[in-house]
Amino acid sequence: MRKARLWGLLWTSFILELQGAPRLEEIKYTRTEGQSLNESCPFNVMKYFSIRKAWQRLGDRGELQTLAITDRVSGRSSKVHKDRCFLEDIPTEGILHVHMADLRVEDSGLYQCVIYQPPKDPILLHHPIRLVVTKDPAQDLAQRSTLPPVTTKARVKAHTSPSPVTQLLTMSTVSLYSPGLGVNPTQGTDVLNMEPRISVISIVTIVVCGILSKSLVFTFLLIATQRSFGR
Amino acid sequence: MSRLCALLAWALLALQGLGEGATEDEACCGPIVPRREWKALASECAQELELPLRYVVVSHTVGGHCDTPALCLKAAQNAQHYHVRTRGFCDVGYNFLIGEDGLVYEGRGWKIKGAHTGPIWNPKAIGITFMGNFMERSPHPRAIRAAKSLLACGVARGALLPNYEVKGHRDVQQTLSPGDRLYDIIQEWPHYRE
Repeated sequence: MRKARLWGLLWTSFILELQGAPRLEEIKYTRTEGQSLNESCPFNVMKYFSIRKAWQRLGDRGELQTLAITDRVSGRSSKVHKDRCFLEDIPTEGILHVHMADLRVEDSGLYQCVIYQPPKDPILLHHPIRLVVTKDPAQDLAQRSTLPPVTTKARVKAHTSPSPVTQLLTMSTVSLYSPGLGVNPTQGTDVLNMEPRISVISIVTIVVCGILSKSLVFTFLLIATQRSFGR
Repeated sequence: MSRLCALLAWALLALQGLGEGATEDEACCGPIVPRREWKALASECAQELELPLRYVVVSHTVGGHCDTPALCLKAAQNAQHYHVRTRGFCDVGYNFLIGEDGLVYEGRGWKIKGAHTGPIWNPKAIGITFMGNFMERSPHPRAIRAAKSLLACGVARGALLPNYEVKGHRDVQQTLSPGDRLYDIIQEWPHYRE
């Protein structure tokens, strides 16, 4: 009886895994101090034509800080400017342009475009934006080797992944495709050449971590199953 | 024996994890009717797209109905004629045209910026159009299959991001395109995002 139950558990978990859950991946941008961030967040023209939009920052504990909110204009393009944030809402095209100027290291973090409709919860538009702002690489280079700045950034992306497996799964894939990796076109070309190598490393890492995480779950179930055989 | 079954379950699960990553890469690119076959006028467009793109915009031509290669060839020519001769575009505005004959017709292709939506979306989306009017009727299932196959091909070729998003034309501009019935259909597509 216990054996059957444990087998049932094993196969139920297997089937549940098959369904999976959709993940909204972060889009990662790396910038140096003084640079700016530009992002375009689409919104549905039919649903949100006249509704206000906002640019928010997510704190480490999930707290939301609203940095800028679009004007309450019905259906016309509008521009707002708050501190170093510029928003342009173009309802006829279903797009919200975001511009953050003069970036600083402390601007690093997670941001999001939202439909702003208090007291209701904001609705996430597009993807969460992970911004990483580093010090001027020219200063770093003076202390290191003759490697170009973009190689350092690419390595930072490939190797300084956070430990939680799920974050690795989402971030590693997306960071391969995020635009604006370098300051000028030549650096961009270097990144393109490096991308195939980074892809292989990331893919292998993702596969291994995927197998390991699921294997851990099933090792426990296997041990439980074996114990129930009455040894 | 039971131990073997447990190990098998474990192995299957690991493989399933691997399988999750390998869906659209396996798509082979199906046949596309090339420009010269549908007797397209030469393109004068030069602006290129920065691939891979994140978005696909689906529209309809509101043109005549066609369900055979001969009729859809004519429909593709008509679409181009309207855009080039009447509206002064450098070429037919769409990147690809889908016929209810089940065939994909090459428009501007994967690399050239289209003129299917507007100045904001044209540089960031591949524009595919279904030839016909789909307010009151749905496209034939073979047209839907052709479109899905085309988009899988786009991913395989690196023209579309693996997590690309499909939008209806009416989601990004004030229009009835792609028609109520076709819009209902694309909203069920796995890559659709409103």
